[in-house]
Parts: sequence; structure tokens; C-alpha cells
Amino acid sequence: MSQRRGELALKTDQEIVVLARAGEEAAYRELIRRYERPLFSLLYRMVRDRELAEDLAQETFIKALNAIESYRPEFKFSSWIFKIANNAAIDHLRRRELDTLSLEGSPHAETPEAMEATALQIGDRQESPLDTVEAKELGGQIEAAIATLRPEYRSCILLRHVEGRAYEEIAQILNLPLGTVKTYIHRARNELRQALGHLRQ
Amino acid sequence: MTGLPAPHLTPDDIDGWLAGAPGPAVQAHLDECPVCRAFAEEERALVARLAAVPLFTPRADFADRVMAAVQVPDPFAIRSLAAARRRLFATRKSIAIAASIALLLVGSMAASALWTLANQDTLIAAGNWLAAEAGRWAWVGLRGAALNLIEQPWYGEVRGLVDTPARLALLSALASVAYVSGVLALRRLLAIPAQRVAHAAA
Repeated sequence: MSQRRGELALKTDQEIVVLARAGEEAAYRELIRRYERPLFSLLYRMVRDRELAEDLAQETFIKALNAIESYRPEFKFSSWIFKIANNAAIDHLRRRELDTLSLEGSPHAETPEAMEATALQIGDRQESPLDTVEAKELGGQIEAAIATLRPEYRSCILLRHVEGRAYEEIAQILNLPLGTVKTYIHRARNELRQALGHLRQ
Repeated sequence: MTGLPAPHLTPDDIDGWLAGAPGPAVQAHLDECPVCRAFAEEERALVARLAAVPLFTPRADFADRVMAAVQVPDPFAIRSLAAARRRLFATRKSIAIAASIALLLVGSMAASALWTLANQDTLIAAGNWLAAEAGRWAWVGLRGAALNLIEQPWYGEVRGLVDTPARLALLSALASVAYVSGVLALRRLLAIPAQRVAHAAA
């Protein structure tokens, strides 16, 4: 088993996909092993919630691996799976924006008591062990600066400078023109420099 | 940290320099202009910080949870199909045999369709004859069954039960009640139990 894993580790993504299509379970596991950390890290930095990021990563892998027959080998596997993950994150962030509750309480509340009862109780939230982990993992200056970026800028900068993807690949992943990707990355770097300057002050 | 962009260079120039491949003009400018140099160095520091952020790891059972929801194709079926395909296209002889069988199938289907179109009257006549024969045999069978029933010793007693319209009506009503009761009992037996939902206290 571990010998097979060693053999698979030497193969390219395309070769692994061929084996997965032939019904080899170890090939599926190899694809998960290769991409679980980069995908999870990207999603975690996008949504800043460990459990949610894990759910989105799981959803991404299930979607990609169940549709492995429809994957076209002329494209990079990494581009394909990052595209699915990024879409999942952006969809989630858009939904969350729509679902955001008013701090003053529900707009449907008719009495002051109802307003108070439906208002978000920020101070009351108990910090769970997971929150502590999140605070530790995402608490650094650079993570705080990344968090200030717009989601589009954030995915661009993470793919470029954390994942080391080429501009052309990022354009393919995000389905954006190359010029837009470059602009987003340059603006994101400017915003990061400014945010880091503020944080330092 | 100035936070100011390089005044004399484009973002592409800075990218080229960060990638370690600046044009000679860009390099010469950076050597001479302290403002642009400072900006480029800031960019380099920022990119290095971004590249150094750690990768996070999901929980240990992540792969198992994913695999539980992934449908891995059956390797035996895939191998069998691939082997059949390989065997089929292995030699000229196997290709010729497969082509002959395909030709035979298509040819016979085409011939059958052509013959049908050319002999529609014959087919209609055969169809009519078959329908008439089937009707005749059905009638003979029904008649035989009825005669057999009448000849049974208990037939007279059963008929006596429904020989007046009132008795017939009563029997029909009883049968209807029994049928409806049966349907209701079955529905009750097969109904999905309603789930009780706990409501939060107001």
C-alpha cells in the first residue's frame, strides 16, 4: 500500500487522473493528499472560519472527484480544482453578504423588545477552542492585512504569492482577463502595504 | 514603508524585477533612482512575507470523509470494457469480423424495413387474420368457462342469494363497505409517522 503511494507520488497529476478514471482508489487519495493543504489554506484565508473552510474544501473535492470524467487533460488539474474551490468560496461570501443580520436587530421586529431580542450579541459570544486556534493561525499582521482585501483581490494575491501560480493560470482559474488579474494583484499589493503600515503604527 | 508606487516604473517593470528578469533599462533605472529602488525593495519584502505564510492542514480524517462521498468507478467493468475494445481492434481479422457482424445487422434491419414498405397489403391482411383468430379463441374460452361455472353443484345456491334486486343491492353495499374499510386500514398502516417538532418557548 505504502509502496503504491510512493509510486503514485512520482507521477504527474495527469497520470494520476488517468489511474483514477480507471477506478484506482489510491489515485483519488493521492489527488486529495496533493491538494488538501493548498485548497484548505486558500479557503480558510478566504472565509476565515476553520470549520466552514473544511466544509467548502470537502465540497470542492467531492464535486471534482465525482466529475473526474469531465476533466479535460489539456488544462492543468490544479487550475481546475482551484477554480471549483474559488467558486465555492465566492458563492459562500456572496450568500453571507446577503444573509448578514443588522446589528440593531431584525428589520421585521416591531417593538423595542423584539429589536433587542434579535440584535447580535457580540460581547456574549464564548470563545471556543476552535476560535482560539483560528486566532492563533490567522492572528498575525500579514493575515490581518490579507483579511482587509476584497474577496477578488484576496483570491488573486493568494494564488499568485502564496500558491505561486502564474498570471495566466490565475486568469484561467478566476475566469478573468489577464489584464484584470494583473491590476487586481498590483492593487492588492498596494492595499497590503498600506494595511501593514497601519498595523505597524 | 512609503506606501507610494514607483513613480517612474510600471507594475510590469516591478514584476519583471521581482521575478529576477528585469530589462536592462529597468535595472539601470533602479540603480540610479532611490525612490523607485525603495519601492521595489518594499515590494520584494511584501512578496517574501506572502510566500512565507504557512499552509494549514485540515483534520486528520479529511480524506476519509471525502472518499466516503466519492463514487470510484468499478475497475473490473472498466478493464473488461477496455479489454473487449483492445481485442476488437487487435488485428485486421478481428476488425473484419466485427465489421461483418455490424454490416450483417444493419443490412438485415434495412432489408426488413424495405420488405415491410413493399408488402404493406400482405402485412395488413395477416394482421386482420390474427386479430380475428384471437377474438374467436377468446370467445370460445369465455364460453367454456361460463358453461363450466353453471354446471357446478353450488351455482344454484349462490344464485339464490342474489335473485332479488334488494338482496343484490345489500350484497353490493356490503362489498363496497368492506372495500373502503380495507383501503382505509391499509392507508393507516402505510402512513409515515408525523414528526413532532419542538418549538422554542416564546
